[in-house]
Amino acid sequence: MTEFSQEFREIALGEVHDVAAERHAAGWRYVQILAVNTEAGVDLVYSYMLDGLLENDVVRALPADAVVPSITDLFLEAFVCENEIHDLYDVAIQDIAIDFGGMFYQLSQKAPMTVVSPEQLAAREKARKVVAAKAAKEAAAKQAPEAVPDTAAPAAGPTEEEIQAKIAGLPPEKAAKVRAAMEAKAKKAAVVPAADEAPAAPKPAGLSEEEIQAKIAGLDPEKAAKVRAALEAKAAKAAKTEGKGE
Amino acid sequence: MGSFKLGGMTFGSLFKKPETLLYPFETKTPPAGLKGHIVIDASRCILCGICAKTCPADAIAVEKKDRTWAIDPFRCVQCASCVRACPKSCLTMDPAYTPIATAQSCTVVEVPDPKAAVTES
Amino acid sequence: MGKATVIPFGPQHPVLPEPLHLDLVVQDETVVDVLPQIGFVHRGLEKLVETRDYNQFIYIAERICGICATGHSVGYAETVESLMGVEIPKRAEYLRVIWHELSRVHSHLLWLGLAADAFGFESMFMHCWRLRERVLDLFEKTTGGRVILSVVKVGGVVRDIDATQMAEIVSVLDGIKDDYTKIMNTLLTDTSVKNRTVGVGYLSTEDAQALSMVGPFARASNLPYDVRSFGKGAYGDLADFQPITATEGDCYARVKVRCLEVLQSIEIIKELAAKMPAGDIEVAVKGAPADGAQASNVLEQPRGECYYYARGNGTKNLERMRIRTPTSQNLAGMTVALKGCDLADVNMIILTIDPCISCTER
Repeated sequence: MTEFSQEFREIALGEVHDVAAERHAAGWRYVQILAVNTEAGVDLVYSYMLDGLLENDVVRALPADAVVPSITDLFLEAFVCENEIHDLYDVAIQDIAIDFGGMFYQLSQKAPMTVVSPEQLAAREKARKVVAAKAAKEAAAKQAPEAVPDTAAPAAGPTEEEIQAKIAGLPPEKAAKVRAAMEAKAKKAAVVPAADEAPAAPKPAGLSEEEIQAKIAGLDPEKAAKVRAALEAKAAKAAKTEGKGE
Repeated sequence: MGSFKLGGMTFGSLFKKPETLLYPFETKTPPAGLKGHIVIDASRCILCGICAKTCPADAIAVEKKDRTWAIDPFRCVQCASCVRACPKSCLTMDPAYTPIATAQSCTVVEVPDPKAAVTES
Repeated sequence: MGKATVIPFGPQHPVLPEPLHLDLVVQDETVVDVLPQIGFVHRGLEKLVETRDYNQFIYIAERICGICATGHSVGYAETVESLMGVEIPKRAEYLRVIWHELSRVHSHLLWLGLAADAFGFESMFMHCWRLRERVLDLFEKTTGGRVILSVVKVGGVVRDIDATQMAEIVSVLDGIKDDYTKIMNTLLTDTSVKNRTVGVGYLSTEDAQALSMVGPFARASNLPYDVRSFGKGAYGDLADFQPITATEGDCYARVKVRCLEVLQSIEIIKELAAKMPAGDIEVAVKGAPADGAQASNVLEQPRGECYYYARGNGTKNLERMRIRTPTSQNLAGMTVALKGCDLADVNMIILTIDPCISCTER
């Protein structure tokens, strides 16, 4: 009985067709081609199989103007994956045997699989910051173990790092929600001491832009639009009454 | 010759008990563990929100402030993730299917406050 | 030779439950060229992996297709387990295979019913679906669901099958086997079925190999490729596993291979039920897949080899989940099998290939 095993190896873009030809000659079976959208560019993974050994050839970070040679002259059945990658990732593939010319999927948007939602981007940024903050903290702790803890920072609401720590690992929408809530808390805490120091400072009339943002974070778009409209109307009203009072 | 064998089988079916049920006059007793719908024992709920977090379909909403636990049966996919995740095991999967609805609605359950109950008595 | 005419076939066609479109270039009733097209119901489920964590995505993976649901959940769970280096208990592996093989029985019976219906064998259709219903009842009793089982999770399975239920599964399968053998013998010896299928839609072994065909389609062309023979999981404990093959490579061979696979699956379930080890059914899976970690996996679905790929990014959400389904692999072979056939045989050939479009349009 042949055992199943898998392997990953990296190849350059220029080798794609040569490797396919080599494998074709050696009797490998084509399995699939897939694309992964990464920040450095689209990765391609070509999979072939021979007697239970599944080999994945990874082409890292295609440049935006890269032209990928088609392997359909060797493996005709790859036309499905190649058309799919062209349509969903906008990767230019040359000489596909059965080329649908971007009409394989009828899409309302170009290259939908490369779209990175703002929430996801924010979550990624935060995950990276958390890692960096952790590393910095560890380095600082190593460098100055007997250093006095930083007492200068007032305990007025959660700080940026605390927020970071709290939302790490949460799904993006939730992270946005938690973040909004915590920022609102921090703002409130900041407003109170400020008010103590200078009671003459004018209170904001109605809701500011940030507060609206905080409130609508995490809602679905139509609802957000509605809430936004309502809140803006409220702010306008508040401004009006203030104006009248003066 | 093969067709006659199958013909015999088909002919025999005429006199056998039917394989189907005369729904809705007859109904099948649901087997134990059938994925019908989620029910909550509100007296044990601590409003931790873990069920809402594990739900893959975002069907559950827990409001700590209003002390309510709500499920949208139209979003629920009966995967029972919440039943397994509940730390107080107050959620269970009821084997009965929910009746047909004419309008979309949410099931909202008010969770009694154990502290309030103590002060009342 | 008459002039070439293009006849569109599908996406709506009585023989196809799902939208598949073919442009048939026809010359005097003979198909000379075929251009397949899918993409009418593409749903972008692979993109959803970014919004759900890896435990939640299994419920989306099994909703890719109603017939292959169990297979997709098992394949996804195995891939994520290999990504995170999780070893699941032996009993969980056995239970997964039992449910997966039961779903193969139900898938093949469904297909057999549809095929019988397509060549006008109405009573056969009824009998096949009657037997399939018994398998669905088994699912209902052991998992709580009829089609979407939601019984597999990353790190094992969520429900156990106790000894009484296992005995019931075996006895029900014995009952199915008796009836099914009669049906199968009728189908395979019937003259009108043979007239319709023998010699139609021929695909040679060399073509099947060159086009990397998978599943019963390849095995009917005498290409003994079956992922189960790698002995992954509980398949490794089977005393003997030989892929079922046929040498003819025509529609009749494809019908025969699938018919015999039902009996093979029943035997596998009975063997595993007898060998069932005791122990846990799940292990706790903690943490998240490492950033940049990759894993690939293959699984034998009712329609053939299915490829899974996962990449982690250090969070609970996977960076990428990819499923390459057997039907998309077989599309090229389908065009070759269709070339040179009669226009009236096109629907028969498509049906014996058994395309699953909802799997392909993830």
